[in-house]
Amino acid sequence: MEVETKVSHSVQWSHRRAQFFKQLKKQRVLHLFVGLGMIFLLIFSYTPMFGILMAFKEYSISSGIKGIFTSEWVGLKHFNEFVSDYRFGEIVRNTLVLSFLKVLFTFPAPILLAILLNEARNLRFKKIVQTVSYLPHFISWVVVAGIAFSFLSADIGMINKALMSLGLIDKPMDILTNADHFWGLAVGSAVWKEVGWWTIIFLAAIAGIDPTLYEAAQIDGAGRLARIRHITFQGMKGTIVVVLILTIGSILGGGLVGSNFEQAFLFGNSINNSTSEIVQTYAFKVGLRDGRFSYAAAIDLIQSIIAVILIFSSNFIAKRASGSSLF
Amino acid sequence: MKIQGTKGLLLALVTVLMVSLLSACGGKDASPKGNNGTNSSNNGEAATTKDEITELSLFIDASWYPVNEWKGPIAEKITEKTGVKLKVTVAADDKQLPLMISSGDLPDLIFTSSQVTRLSDSKLSYPWNELIEQYAPNFIIDDTRKAIHTMEDGNFYTVRNSFATQEEMAEHKYAIGSDGNPGIAVREDILAELGNPSLNSVEDFVNVLGMVKEKYPDMVPLTMDKDWMEQYFIQQFGVEALLDGWYERDGKIDYAIKQPEILEFFKFMNLLYRNGYILAENFAYTNDQIDDEYAVGGKAFAHSHTVSVADSDNAKIKNNGADYSFKMLPSALSKDAKIVSSGLGFAGTFITKNNKNPEASIKFIEFLASDEGKKLTMFGIEGEHWTWNEEGYPNLNYDPSDADFVNGNGIKWWYLYNDGVTEGLQGYVPGTQKTQALLERKAITVYKPEIGLIQTEPDSEERTIKTKIDEMIKNEKVKIYLASSEEEAIANYESMLKTAEQIGLQKLVDWANETYQKKKDLFK
Repeated sequence: MEVETKVSHSVQWSHRRAQFFKQLKKQRVLHLFVGLGMIFLLIFSYTPMFGILMAFKEYSISSGIKGIFTSEWVGLKHFNEFVSDYRFGEIVRNTLVLSFLKVLFTFPAPILLAILLNEARNLRFKKIVQTVSYLPHFISWVVVAGIAFSFLSADIGMINKALMSLGLIDKPMDILTNADHFWGLAVGSAVWKEVGWWTIIFLAAIAGIDPTLYEAAQIDGAGRLARIRHITFQGMKGTIVVVLILTIGSILGGGLVGSNFEQAFLFGNSINNSTSEIVQTYAFKVGLRDGRFSYAAAIDLIQSIIAVILIFSSNFIAKRASGSSLF
Repeated sequence: MKIQGTKGLLLALVTVLMVSLLSACGGKDASPKGNNGTNSSNNGEAATTKDEITELSLFIDASWYPVNEWKGPIAEKITEKTGVKLKVTVAADDKQLPLMISSGDLPDLIFTSSQVTRLSDSKLSYPWNELIEQYAPNFIIDDTRKAIHTMEDGNFYTVRNSFATQEEMAEHKYAIGSDGNPGIAVREDILAELGNPSLNSVEDFVNVLGMVKEKYPDMVPLTMDKDWMEQYFIQQFGVEALLDGWYERDGKIDYAIKQPEILEFFKFMNLLYRNGYILAENFAYTNDQIDDEYAVGGKAFAHSHTVSVADSDNAKIKNNGADYSFKMLPSALSKDAKIVSSGLGFAGTFITKNNKNPEASIKFIEFLASDEGKKLTMFGIEGEHWTWNEEGYPNLNYDPSDADFVNGNGIKWWYLYNDGVTEGLQGYVPGTQKTQALLERKAITVYKPEIGLIQTEPDSEERTIKTKIDEMIKNEKVKIYLASSEEEAIANYESMLKTAEQIGLQKLVDWANETYQKKKDLFK
């Protein structure tokens, strides 16, 4: 009896193996494509990871690449230094607040715009809005920072001038040079720049909804809002969850619109520094400028750990709440 | 059959993609242009000497560097004299060199100011003393310069340019320094309209700004270049170092932010802001053109920049066809004004361990260090660009403030080895405002190069503390400038000092005093 089971097991197994290779052969082109992506990841994401060693060592740049292995171990010294830095609290707060604010506003915005565009009946209008809203995506942040200066400057800014001459304000607004306004500026410019681009993915999700559902709902007496709520939104839910998880995973980089570093670096100045300095810009300035690669690596590692925790917990919550998840 | 064809095509496509991806990693080719064509006029001669010309790669660690190609009459002349031509790369930013050092990807020569102590390391560079002994025994460098650059291991790896001792400067009265010194220019015509009020003290200057503000409310009374905001005023209040520097009093060294006079300077800057004489966003400028636009465009009364600011603004105004003009404020606006020069020079050239021809390299530097080489780099070709005036300075056939001409011909910028005297002579053009300002500055300058010897070693604890304190000052000082009342400004100043102590200022000061005691006798 036992022998029989064993034999049947091994037969089953070799059968499965044969099937596996047969399938592999059938999908070899697809596997080649996957392989390409994996080689990319291996070279650009996994290989450089050995550099993490630096975070636990006293690495000096004059010792070259082999110095990463030969330099002296110092344990958590660099982590301690960052955690006990007098600005640690402020910098971590800025990173988290900026990240969460950006997700809070930039995530729902394209969903809303997609639904609005879907409801627009005038095709021409819809096309124009779509084009106008996604074009800023192609402007780089450096250019955006330049444009922002000419629009928002307290002295020569167009917006301040217009508001002043309309008598709406009696003193120019110091948007670029006030620590209280930095987060608003960052979130606002991110929404302006990326909302149209991300609308495309949600419009695609809406396009996949069967139109007969709308017709049936209409016959059943569902109004516009009811249709949006029960059909459009339900049809987008899967896409929304996947995008949300990806967003949370990269939340410390700024979520789906990214660019936390670019914004903090380009809009940041010594006046708004108390709200604009984030972990990445701090690591860049203190770590790289003076060749303190070990310290920069330690700071970045701390941030990566926070990001990993965030992606796992958001995946878990998504699974619990909606049933769909990334893994 | 058809399906198989498609599959074959797909397979080929994937292979091509893969190959292109992999080759992209290593496919970053260096600069596309060689130096062909520079010798086109004398082809025959060039062909014969071409074999003997050594090409060396040079990395210039200054992203703002105005020349980035080995061309023009000066470069050609140097090649003719030394048989060396350079393949130049200018840094994209200040992080590029640290990255190159860590990856071991070093060129033949490096010209840097910020990584001098880092590169003075036998693992990275050849010691000059060894190369001189071996290949250039006649290359004499004076003891002071050697002593300044000699490291703990007894070797020196470079000698910075732009340095001169107090004696050398005293000996050459026409060596007045270069453009890299602070100055302020004011609108001459507006001053006249205001009835030429006196401008002999800092208070006078503040008064005039007030009059401008009242009479021309649309104008910005004072605009400042992002890199030249404080220096001029710091010196007027008798502060002996910039905000990240050291000062000496009664034989003791301390950090500049602790010098008692600095509080007056901070209060003054705060006053300028509170009275609306400067814009808050001036401290947020990310490029150095905005202040120029204000000044040249007639939107600002005073312009804080370098000693050549009046000359260069006036040249631009003339080009634009406008009819107003700037004139320099005196370099010493108050009786307290003091300039302490603790500089050890600007930048030095390193011969890296990757250098393929150390012999040619040190001989190349030997030529640049010769009297002929120094004058050729700084003034241009004798007879063509300048003739020697028996008084002791060159009569230049061009305007040294004309950046287009100077940079276009490659004058000055190949000063991979030079000294403060020769460089200082290039600035002497009788009759210009810049020369006047520099002469005034020289009169109130005290030389204390021994303070410059207080330099933190790379990767040292002191370096870390100093970097952190300097970064902190950069942010906190603006809070002092932009405080809404004088009390708040003083409170912010005190809080800045407290934070500095928290980061470890006392430790840094103790170390600085120790170093100072050890090294100060070098100049005795």
